[in-house]
Amino acid sequence: MKALLITIGLLLLALPTRADSYEEHDYILNCSGCHRMDGRGSRTVPSLLAMRELLGKPGVRAYWAQVPGVAQAPLTDARLAALLNWLVKRFTGQSPNPPYTKEEAKRLRRTPLRDPVVRRSKIRDAILR
Amino acid sequence: MSRLDHWFEGMSRQSARRVSRRSWLSRFGGVLVGGAALPLLPVARAAEKHQVGEDGVKGREGDPRRCEYWRHCAIDGFLCSCCGGSHTACPPGTEMSPVTWIGTCRNPADGIDYIISYNDCCGKTFCGRCMCNRNEGERPLYHWYRNNDINWCGGAKTQTYSCSTAVVVKAAKEAQPEK
Repeated sequence: MKALLITIGLLLLALPTRADSYEEHDYILNCSGCHRMDGRGSRTVPSLLAMRELLGKPGVRAYWAQVPGVAQAPLTDARLAALLNWLVKRFTGQSPNPPYTKEEAKRLRRTPLRDPVVRRSKIRDAILR
Repeated sequence: MSRLDHWFEGMSRQSARRVSRRSWLSRFGGVLVGGAALPLLPVARAAEKHQVGEDGVKGREGDPRRCEYWRHCAIDGFLCSCCGGSHTACPPGTEMSPVTWIGTCRNPADGIDYIISYNDCCGKTFCGRCMCNRNEGERPLYHWYRNNDINWCGGAKTQTYSCSTAVVVKAAKEAQPEK
């Protein structure tokens, strides 16, 4: 009886998380058109596989949430934060620590990058130095 | 040996006496015309309605060469199925662009919304047949990754647009627009 109740409880816990996991759907609809299904990008689009080298480097966490494709995606803050966590885990093998929250996503996407390309080269130069 | 010759001679003389030369012609003609008329039967047409794409997803509005086909709900361009390719494959001599715009369409056969990838085929001059412009769920140009007025051949080797495909990616979690 006890085992049955625990099983039911666990199933109930699992239900909402499964029903609310839109990450892959959101990735396909909002990112994969240019970055492609496997994230490799193309001649003109950066590869998401390069995120592995950037993880944990200064300025990168904010940049990932502020880059126009992310910040302007037609998604709620909560779904954007979930998507970012999923993306980082998928393309770097590690979950972001701490995970992006919807408050952080909200704050970051409200601060637009005036010049994304300049920010990108600054981050790159800081890593290479 | 001569017995075999005799037997054959007997058989051919017998058939020459019994069967007219035109009888064979008429039967052969019957087979030709009958075979060609088979797809006109209602049975054959009913089977076509449950046509399955190369990606394995059925559609009730079965003809991928028509603009009304369910996968084309958000397309803007010439249908590759009219241009020597199919709704999931490019015509010979063209290359499928790696970048694409993506939408969702409801399949009336099962009532499920599917994510559709409208990969352009690039490399030959524009096809010009079966123009289809439905645009359901398309976004303005400032949401470029949901816009179909862009030349998505930008990611291919040549930027000449030829026609568009409609490939099912997988079942959508929700139809557009998002909550």
